[in-house]
Amino acid sequence: MAYKHFEAIEKHAGLLGILIAIMVSLGGLAEITPLFVEAHTLKAPAGVHPYDPLRLMGKDVYVREGCYLCHSQMIRALRFETQRYGHFSTAAESVYDRPFQWGSKRTGPDLARVGGKYSDDWQRMHLMNPRQVVPQSNMPGYPWLAHDKIDAADVQARMRTLRRLGDPYSDADIAGAPAAVEGKTEMDALIAYLQGLGIRNEPAPTAAAASDGAAP
Amino acid sequence: MSTGWSLWVMFLVVLNMGITFFLYLWGPRAKIPTLPDGTSGHVWAHGVLREGVRKLPLWWVLFSGSMFAAGFTYLALFPGFGSFKGVLGWTSHGELARNVAANEATLAPLIDRFRLYPVEQLANDPAAQQMGKVLFEDNCAACHQRSAKGNVALGAPDLTDNDWLYGGSGKDITTSIHDGRNGVMPPWASLGADNVKNLAQYVLSLSGSPHDEAKAAAGKPLFATCAACHGADGKGNPAVGAPNLTDRIWLHGGSVAEIEKTIGEGRQGHMPVWSPRLTDDQIHTVAAYVYHLSHDADAASSQ
Repeated sequence: MAYKHFEAIEKHAGLLGILIAIMVSLGGLAEITPLFVEAHTLKAPAGVHPYDPLRLMGKDVYVREGCYLCHSQMIRALRFETQRYGHFSTAAESVYDRPFQWGSKRTGPDLARVGGKYSDDWQRMHLMNPRQVVPQSNMPGYPWLAHDKIDAADVQARMRTLRRLGDPYSDADIAGAPAAVEGKTEMDALIAYLQGLGIRNEPAPTAAAASDGAAP
Repeated sequence: MSTGWSLWVMFLVVLNMGITFFLYLWGPRAKIPTLPDGTSGHVWAHGVLREGVRKLPLWWVLFSGSMFAAGFTYLALFPGFGSFKGVLGWTSHGELARNVAANEATLAPLIDRFRLYPVEQLANDPAAQQMGKVLFEDNCAACHQRSAKGNVALGAPDLTDNDWLYGGSGKDITTSIHDGRNGVMPPWASLGADNVKNLAQYVLSLSGSPHDEAKAAAGKPLFATCAACHGADGKGNPAVGAPNLTDRIWLHGGSVAEIEKTIGEGRQGHMPVWSPRLTDDQIHTVAAYVYHLSHDADAASSQ
């Protein structure tokens, strides 16, 4: 390679820009593209099922109200996290989360395995006004959820859309949705969603420890 | 990672490191045409600025060289080069397992000592109190408050008053934490609004609280229904978690309105099951801390 080639690059800003872009993108091509493509081949592990209608609505309320802005749902593989929150999260646990709620901001605690930690009554009081149960809390209250009813047709439309994206809802599941959300409020849905987080899909600690680094 | 993606990552790593390393080696040796005045002939700003030709400074060459050395060493030791796991075999899950094992080894002498004592005795151990307090604040304080004074609005009992719904022995407390508790007070609105009001006055009379004598007298016969759980004398039954109604300690509030609500609508208290979240040793330690809370005076006098 002779100097004149470098001179050509230095004197043509467009060429220089293109070559810089190529060099800068190499890292992303190596780090992102394999995971991006492999994410679509990820299968739900045993015990992870599509959301039932009430929890599905609860998940969408969770997203709509922006809970992810203060709560993560990803327990990292660090001792101080696994001791407090339980087994670290794995990618396969989130296959039915669209979008996933991993998050990177914790003003409040991680919620990946919060299901069953508190009673339904506690969750209700806490969502109405967090200070009723945790005086030190700076979380806002969400009292309007208690009187906003869930629309059955809306749930069915969401389930049909998710089925088109690949979630295994049967016709019977969708037909049964109106009965499942009959008379339920958004508060009920959100509590059902929170109470289901992590309790059925906790990976066995030994199995996960043995499969070191298998899943990213 | 599949072989295809592994090769893809290896290719990109070789390409990136190869190009930059080639430039690093070749740059200082490149023959740059130089004019007699020591410049390259490049000019800017109508000749005011000219580009001199200089050697790269030694510090820059050494610094960049050390960056390459660090990069190659990293790829040799740690995962990064495709599916090559690195010489050290490091994984984040492996590191977690080592950290957990190291922590458990540190705590082992303490935990072994805790296991020797029943809850009642362990409650006097300052180390157990300290560890129990941390566990309590992480797990129990959301309902029982950091002070352990409970939450009347939620129906979470005060743990400092030595008044127990399900018994206050170390074994009872351990069971309450390990298996959780479900309190069931059925709704009695079917008795009619007046009867509920009369019963509420009678319940108040049991603890000698201010009440309406006439209504209490009218409610007394109805208490036979309540006696199945709360006992004929209203002193409760720890076997089913029925509160003592004679002690002026109110799980869900002691106002007339609250008592009428409790009778009319019933109450469902729920203490979650902690065995999936806490180890038996942790439950033992928390139980000791909880026991210590209501036996503080005993603990102080025995020291």
